[in-house]
Amino acid sequence: MKNLKRFMVLSLLLVLCLSFTAFAQVVTIDFLNFSSSGDNEVHLEKMREIFEAQNPNIKVNIQTIGYGDYFVRLMTSVVAGTAPDAFELNFENFAAYAMKGTIMPLEELMEKTGFDTSVSDPNALAAFRSDGKQYGLPFSFSNVIVLYNKDLFDQANVPYPNSDWTWADQLDAAIKIRALGEDIFGIFQPIQFHEFYKVVRQNGGRLFNADMTKFTVNTPENVETLQYMVDRVQKYNVMPTEEQLSGMGDWDLFAAGRLGMLVTGSWAFPYMMENCDFDWDIAVEPGNTAKATHFFANGLVINKDTDKAEAAFEWIKFLSTSKEAAEIRVQAGWELPAVTHQEILDLYAATTPPESKSVIFESLQYLVTPPVIEQFGELSDILGRHLGDARDGFVTPQEALDAAQAELESRITL
Amino acid sequence: MGKKLTIFLFLLPSLVGLVLFSIIPIGTSLYLSLTEWDVIGGPPKFHGLKNYVQILQSEEMGRILGNTLYFIVLYIPLILTVSILVALLLNNPYKGIGIYRTIYYVPVLTSWVAAALLWKWLLNARYGAVNAILGWFGIQGPSWLQDKAWAMPGVVLSSIWKDMGYFSLIFLAGLQGIDKTYYEAAEIDGASSFAKFRYITLPLVTPTLFFVMVICIINSFQLFPQVMVMTEGGPGGATQVFVERIYNYAFRYYKMGYAASLSWILFAFIFVATIIQLRMQKRWVHYDS
Amino acid sequence: MTRRLLIKKVSFYLFASLIGFFNLIPFFWMVSTSLKARKALAVLPVQWIPEEPSFEAYQRLFQLFPFARAIWNSVFISVTTTVIVVVSASLAAYVFAKVPFKGREVLFTLFLMTMMIPGQVTMIPNFLVLRYLGLLNTYLGVLLPTIYNAFATFLLRQNMRIIPDAFLEAAIIDGASHFTIFSRIVVPLSKPILAALSVITFMGTWNDYLWPLIVLTDRAKMTLPVGLGLLNTQYGNQYNLLMAGGLISMVPILLLYFLAQKHFEQGLSIGGIKG
Repeated sequence: MKNLKRFMVLSLLLVLCLSFTAFAQVVTIDFLNFSSSGDNEVHLEKMREIFEAQNPNIKVNIQTIGYGDYFVRLMTSVVAGTAPDAFELNFENFAAYAMKGTIMPLEELMEKTGFDTSVSDPNALAAFRSDGKQYGLPFSFSNVIVLYNKDLFDQANVPYPNSDWTWADQLDAAIKIRALGEDIFGIFQPIQFHEFYKVVRQNGGRLFNADMTKFTVNTPENVETLQYMVDRVQKYNVMPTEEQLSGMGDWDLFAAGRLGMLVTGSWAFPYMMENCDFDWDIAVEPGNTAKATHFFANGLVINKDTDKAEAAFEWIKFLSTSKEAAEIRVQAGWELPAVTHQEILDLYAATTPPESKSVIFESLQYLVTPPVIEQFGELSDILGRHLGDARDGFVTPQEALDAAQAELESRITL
Repeated sequence: MGKKLTIFLFLLPSLVGLVLFSIIPIGTSLYLSLTEWDVIGGPPKFHGLKNYVQILQSEEMGRILGNTLYFIVLYIPLILTVSILVALLLNNPYKGIGIYRTIYYVPVLTSWVAAALLWKWLLNARYGAVNAILGWFGIQGPSWLQDKAWAMPGVVLSSIWKDMGYFSLIFLAGLQGIDKTYYEAAEIDGASSFAKFRYITLPLVTPTLFFVMVICIINSFQLFPQVMVMTEGGPGGATQVFVERIYNYAFRYYKMGYAASLSWILFAFIFVATIIQLRMQKRWVHYDS
Repeated sequence: MTRRLLIKKVSFYLFASLIGFFNLIPFFWMVSTSLKARKALAVLPVQWIPEEPSFEAYQRLFQLFPFARAIWNSVFISVTTTVIVVVSASLAAYVFAKVPFKGREVLFTLFLMTMMIPGQVTMIPNFLVLRYLGLLNTYLGVLLPTIYNAFATFLLRQNMRIIPDAFLEAAIIDGASHFTIFSRIVVPLSKPILAALSVITFMGTWNDYLWPLIVLTDRAKMTLPVGLGLLNTQYGNQYNLLMAGGLISMVPILLLYFLAQKHFEQGLSIGGIKG
């Protein structure tokens, strides 16, 4: 009797101890993201389930909020010292967070866990380096290509675009398509910062000098580039003016079959698949004196003050590089995973339209990344305003870029 | 003694909130305005009045102020006239007045985010309802939000739609608060409806009118959500206004100190405008007794 | 006489309907857009009435986040806030309107001045105050700051000032305390404006987005606008979903409005008779 009692007490203690240690081992990490907001939360949830099954000691608390005020929330939590253990950053904000030392360099963690860099897309991985250190892992990326309406090309009797074509070929095709009808336009390519920094590279220009100490916005190559972009609107009118566009989205214009070519990102595919009732495909962007393409990437980073860095790293590594996460992503049509797993790439290439999915990978060869500076948002707003003035014909391209150069020099210290 | 304690107790909740959630944060922002602070990198660095000097010298300041005044000049007279008219209308004893009251109030009930998105679409130059309606009268509507000259009027239009019900409700409450005996006395004297409006309604509604004007001026200077959703400050900076800039400096450009300075400059403008109104109030606002 | 009345009546309905039209057209467009499938959004010519009405937007909305939970959170926060604001502001407004004391105008001016600083720059300091009080991620963190509301105090003070002093003086002579005067005379006479303030406050809180977004980080504490904010994605907006969300979030406010309207009219008549 006494023994039984003792046994019960002991076993109770044992159970308590065991459950206590089991509890202690489970780490819960907070993860904040914006890119699953809207339709993709279920897919992220699926990724979490698989991850937690593989890592019974880690629980992930996912917080998803809309893109609009994501950075306000993130900033406030950083100031208050309550930032999540791991979070998502878009490329534009990544630079500021890395340079200000808000996020953790990942080298040590990568070494410790034997991170295999070869499974990551090298371009996407390189995008999240700053000052020679790896600060983030790519979550997803989308690159920018030319979507074209095959039917309109056929009607205008122009050959489809290929990888060797140039600005001149593109303009020629656009003019012929424009001639098909009053309401049909040749091309649409937004005249704003995100396009401009790349298009100048297609003409051998740059927005900064080589060591990023000075703005070189109004160089002759850049003025020529802007002239070319503006001419498509004002002179040839192969691209609709703001008035002709009158608030209609460029995607809608393309989906309505009224646009020959559209320079946009691969994130447009699901929309086009659903809404286009004509044949369309994609091509690498043309160049003038050089070829240049760009992409948008979102990265995963770790809060430098977290005490759960290892668990957080396991999670972002899983999201960034695992086959499971990549497969869910591809099947959901949720942008592109930044991985090199052949079967994933095959799976991606196999989902059509567009037929020429390989173009996505081909255009990565000519990738240029946006300038990594802290004042990225301000740069893009100021330049965008002056580019808009030129596009709408208020000033000449030369005047617009001179004014932009002056304003940038006075507002942004490099 | 008892009176003082009563006053204190009546004011206590507001005073606690005032100190914790207004004075302390405002004091902090005053300090921040004298610093350079990127928010995420580390503590603010003191650098005196540099932000203020930079703002006042910037080309942007003139643009923001011009845009704000443009808004005020269009918005204030329109909203005051329309909402008083609507309040007078709703103060009638006719059948179905409740339905009208509700209809007028519907826009107020929508959130600004939804309302602004809606107006962005309504003001669409080619497919929008506004230009379609103008077309019925043979008027070729402008490109509104894409046109530098018309973007701000577009914002004003949406604001009138959204705010009209709100301010007419406040006016209505003011109208209903007027002692009926005044009218009865006037009727005995055989006053016309216009005379009643001019000599009874209007003077007695002046405290409310004053309130609405003060609030409208403050709101106009702090114009924000409609601009953020409808134009993002565009086209070409034509709708850049104080709070839109403050938001961008604070949360997109990593210049919190600069944003704080800009909001103190905004404060200065609002303060002067309100002081002027308070001074003028003695000339035209009638409080009882 | 009757002819004049008739003209007056007809012009009233004409005018009132015209303004009503201006008010309702956008709203109609909102309903129509919310009933379109995503594909039908970009169709030309514009469909005022969707050819194939679809509840796709509403269905997807309900799948997006814990909808019922979010509505409940919003109701709870909005109702509580409204009570707090109305009580706290009417107490203060009474003093500012009817109880003179030294420094009253200075204090009132301070109230007014705090309205002139935009919330965007005091947000981070405010957030730090909450952290210091240990109220982050609690409902109290959203509710407590509402005990101070300069706008509401200003609104009520303006309206309480037109209550004739003679009423109060009579009560004071009878030996009534300030609290009695406040609750028995001033509050009943202020019913219309209190009803208006309740509707305004409820609505403002109901649509509040940024503050609950940064303070309440738990998904279980999410409010409706924060949930609808999830529709704001990196690449573009889906109008049908946004409009459906906007409409759904209006329903509780409309209900409250109808509810308050009764009290409102009661209040109006009481104010009329006694005034």
